[in-house]
Amino acid sequence: MTENLHIRAQKFFTQSLVEGLSHADQSWLDQHLHECAGCAREIASTQELLHALRTVPVSIPRDLAARTQLRVRLRAQESAQTSHGNFLLWVITGFSWFAGVLSAPLVWRAFAWLGNYLHVPKLAVEMGFVLWWAVPALFAVAAVLHQKGFNISPWRGPN
Amino acid sequence: MSAHAFTLASASSRSPLLFAAVMTDETQTLAQGLSRRDPGLLDHLIELYQHRLYRYLLFLTGNPALAEDLFQETWIRVLERGHQYNAKSKFESWLFAIARNLVIDVSRRKKMPSLEDLGDKESNQPFDPPDEHSISALQLLVSRENHQAVQLSLLKIPAYYREVLLLRFHEEMGLEEIAAMMSAPVSTVKSRLYRGLAALKSALPEGSV
Repeated sequence: MTENLHIRAQKFFTQSLVEGLSHADQSWLDQHLHECAGCAREIASTQELLHALRTVPVSIPRDLAARTQLRVRLRAQESAQTSHGNFLLWVITGFSWFAGVLSAPLVWRAFAWLGNYLHVPKLAVEMGFVLWWAVPALFAVAAVLHQKGFNISPWRGPN
Repeated sequence: MSAHAFTLASASSRSPLLFAAVMTDETQTLAQGLSRRDPGLLDHLIELYQHRLYRYLLFLTGNPALAEDLFQETWIRVLERGHQYNAKSKFESWLFAIARNLVIDVSRRKKMPSLEDLGDKESNQPFDPPDEHSISALQLLVSRENHQAVQLSLLKIPAYYREVLLLRFHEEMGLEEIAAMMSAPVSTVKSRLYRGLAALKSALPEGSV
């Protein structure tokens, strides 16, 4: 029965550290610790352990903050340049798409005329027209992918 | 920012409600600055959180060089994902969550078994202290005898216990805050704290502390 009281005291103490205790349980624990030197010693040792844990000295590497600040600033500049480049790329893509839509009827007529003139089958003319549209778009996608691949490559430092 | 710190200190001494209001203003300002990628703000935050973040990473990895790399990488992520900080949680919780995810990524990439457990939602493996000789260079950073004993014992216990012990007893974070940071239920945090305390005590050498 006495052993159970000590176990209960230990349990309550740990509980008080982790999630807190009700007023009644805290009073019981205080009373028990007042009466039981063994439990009081055990709990003092745990408190000392936690104090040591809280005050463990950790020496931060020299200039870590300054080096990090420099690296963050460099990355910010790099990102700003990339986003400016992306913006230009989108403007050019948008413009070329708009021009492509406007010129589509003319290009279609030109392909039809060329097909007639060279006696090329209709399917080949249609495929040529599709390629006329698809090739620049494929180049644009390749350019974007290339740029993104460049962005996610690891940072090697300023030197 | 130092003016803000002064505002916070005086507000907290007057009223908890006022403190909460100032705190909300503060985190909103912080969120706006982060989404603008304000370089001055980032410099200030790096300076302000350097000790806490480095200590967290060092305790988690037990490797000063890796902790240093991850420290820098964490701030790069803060720069790039600053717009995702919504000011609903404390900045330090968000910051530590980023650092934690980086540690998990690195541990998976480099196959570091002691850290891989951090990614588990619930780890119920039995506690098994590793060989003393396998402990990393972290011990070199310790000066006093008790601290050395505690630090060595910390390195003997699994990383997921070390993490919650640090957050709860060093960073003095609340259970809900830790749970949100770890994306785990509060019950997991509690059970890791109970088990972590028991593991830390049993890992201490006889007669120390």
